[in-house]
Amino acid sequence: MAGQSNPDLSVFSAPEVEFLAEDEMVEIVPNIRMEALNMICGDFGPFFPQIASKVPLWLAVALKKRGKCTIRTPEWMSVERLTQVLEAERESSREFQPLPFHYVEISRLLFDHAHDDIPDLYMVRSLIEDIRDVRFHKVETGLETISGRTHAVKLKNLSAMEVNIVRPFMVRALQAFYRHDSPQMIQQPRTMGGSRPQAVDRGPRRDLRPR
Amino acid sequence: MASGSGSGSERWSEDLETEVAMAMGTTDVELLKRAWRNEKAAPEILQFEAALVLRAREQIQLLEETVEEFTENGVDDLVVSLYQMDLDRSLFLLRSYLRIRLQKIEKYMIHISKTNLWNRLSEQEQRFAKSRCTDIMEKHLEQSVLSRLPYGYQSILKQSISSEEDDMVPEPQLDTFVFCKTKHAVGAFQLDDTGDEIVDLVADDLYVLRYKSIRGLVESGRIDLV
Amino acid sequence: MYGRRASQLLRELACSETGQLTAFNSDAFDQVIKECNEHNLQLQSLIRKIEDENLDIQTTRNEDHFGAVIHHLSLIRNKRCLMAYMYNRAETIQSLRWKVGPVLPQEIQEKLNYSEEECFKNHSAAIQSYMSELDLDLTVDMVPPKDPYIRVRVLDDIGEVCLGDHSISLTKHSLHFLRRTDAEPFISQGMMEEFLE
Repeated sequence: MAGQSNPDLSVFSAPEVEFLAEDEMVEIVPNIRMEALNMICGDFGPFFPQIASKVPLWLAVALKKRGKCTIRTPEWMSVERLTQVLEAERESSREFQPLPFHYVEISRLLFDHAHDDIPDLYMVRSLIEDIRDVRFHKVETGLETISGRTHAVKLKNLSAMEVNIVRPFMVRALQAFYRHDSPQMIQQPRTMGGSRPQAVDRGPRRDLRPR
Repeated sequence: MASGSGSGSERWSEDLETEVAMAMGTTDVELLKRAWRNEKAAPEILQFEAALVLRAREQIQLLEETVEEFTENGVDDLVVSLYQMDLDRSLFLLRSYLRIRLQKIEKYMIHISKTNLWNRLSEQEQRFAKSRCTDIMEKHLEQSVLSRLPYGYQSILKQSISSEEDDMVPEPQLDTFVFCKTKHAVGAFQLDDTGDEIVDLVADDLYVLRYKSIRGLVESGRIDLV
Repeated sequence: MYGRRASQLLRELACSETGQLTAFNSDAFDQVIKECNEHNLQLQSLIRKIEDENLDIQTTRNEDHFGAVIHHLSLIRNKRCLMAYMYNRAETIQSLRWKVGPVLPQEIQEKLNYSEEECFKNHSAAIQSYMSELDLDLTVDMVPPKDPYIRVRVLDDIGEVCLGDHSISLTKHSLHFLRRTDAEPFISQGMMEEFLE
């Protein structure tokens, strides 16, 4: 139909990406005793004081907010590891280092709710910010390489938030290239907004019949 | 809730796959999350996950009863609130999943009802689409536009009486590009009709591909949209 | 120029933000309808002329034929624009059911024409029946949940409200610790907001 607006290109909202990230598993150290939780999303516990246990991030944050546990900072969030990652990110102009798919959201949730559990908080925070910046810059420059013959783009190690950021532009660009590239384009010019050749291009002869 | 429609063999293989997933420790919430993501990211409506929705609703109802019991029996507030959060998360996924489908049905109802996409709807969705949504929209367009146009131009499906096929029906754009991830290696995969474009789909890698070329992989659950 | 007015209707749509509604432009709309009928009159008279000259309507390629084609195509273009205008507006109007609820505020209702109002009501009822068949309210949980309880600030004098098994007094500016599902209808109507420290 003419003028039909583009389909909504932002598939997941920021709160939805965060919701997905909250299912990632983290390790907590409870300070209480609590029986096992048999939940729809899985079974966790039983919990004993000072004994580490694995739970989804949302559960960890809920317990932490209520003062019932500390959250162990994931291994990839150590100064040592992050420094390595940052260096590697800077060295390679095209490749992305492996980090959890939700590294942005996980680290932000931990900064917001468990900052007192993170060793070298200040350093970790600034390292993650730097890594984000380097990667975003790479994403932007990577977009410049999209061309008419692009049928597939491989984005190894790109994270959820990064996907969300590049999605609108990337999809629009690829779609435009794809359309302009297609042979139909030359034979049958498409009218605005239409996804198929329209009747405008055919059959006016048959229209001229008496009623 | 009545189960949706779906041809026998398709349903069987889906159930089988679900069982395998359960055995491997995948929870129904995990499966629902996958269905939700795929439905959100796919331009067209996907097969209604009847069995999964049924199971999820059973589990939700069960937990609702448990939470109520806990509250009555004075179980620790902390435990109750944690279960409540689990419940809320599951309910959100379920509601959002059903909502996205309704929105797709609203958008493409005429197209859906004319094609075999119709079989992808649940019974309730079919009733919503046919006897309600389509009729309402048809009446609306009829009285505000079509009835006021000259004879020969009054069809909701065709631009004019001389159109050979229905050329006024909004359709999902299958040409669009989607972001996807494979759980297991799919191997060399042909992206276009002519076979010029082959991509090697490696496990856990992220790709941006044309939806049309991978819709079969989405339907068979070999690739996830993100 | 043929089709210009119709394209202005679409420009109006394109200029407004997604989900926002402008007042139904009945002047422009009626004029485009009128244009359509004029095109048709011209088209018919050209066809008659060709016939009167005893020319074969299928093969004739004279100026009258091309004139007729232009009127036909202009009419179709106008129709497409009118339909797109109505259809896209209807989509926005229907989406309001999720955002504001089954009753539209006066300022939105004023922007609709009669048929659109009717369409909204019928569509709301359709969603209602779907939800009751399912026995599941889909109008809550529009965003992912956080904690089941949220702190809210009341923005309007709402008065005494019964929530679950107890009633509370929602006076302007007061703060409450409510179940999210209880608070959401008020939040979506702009009568409450989440209170963040």
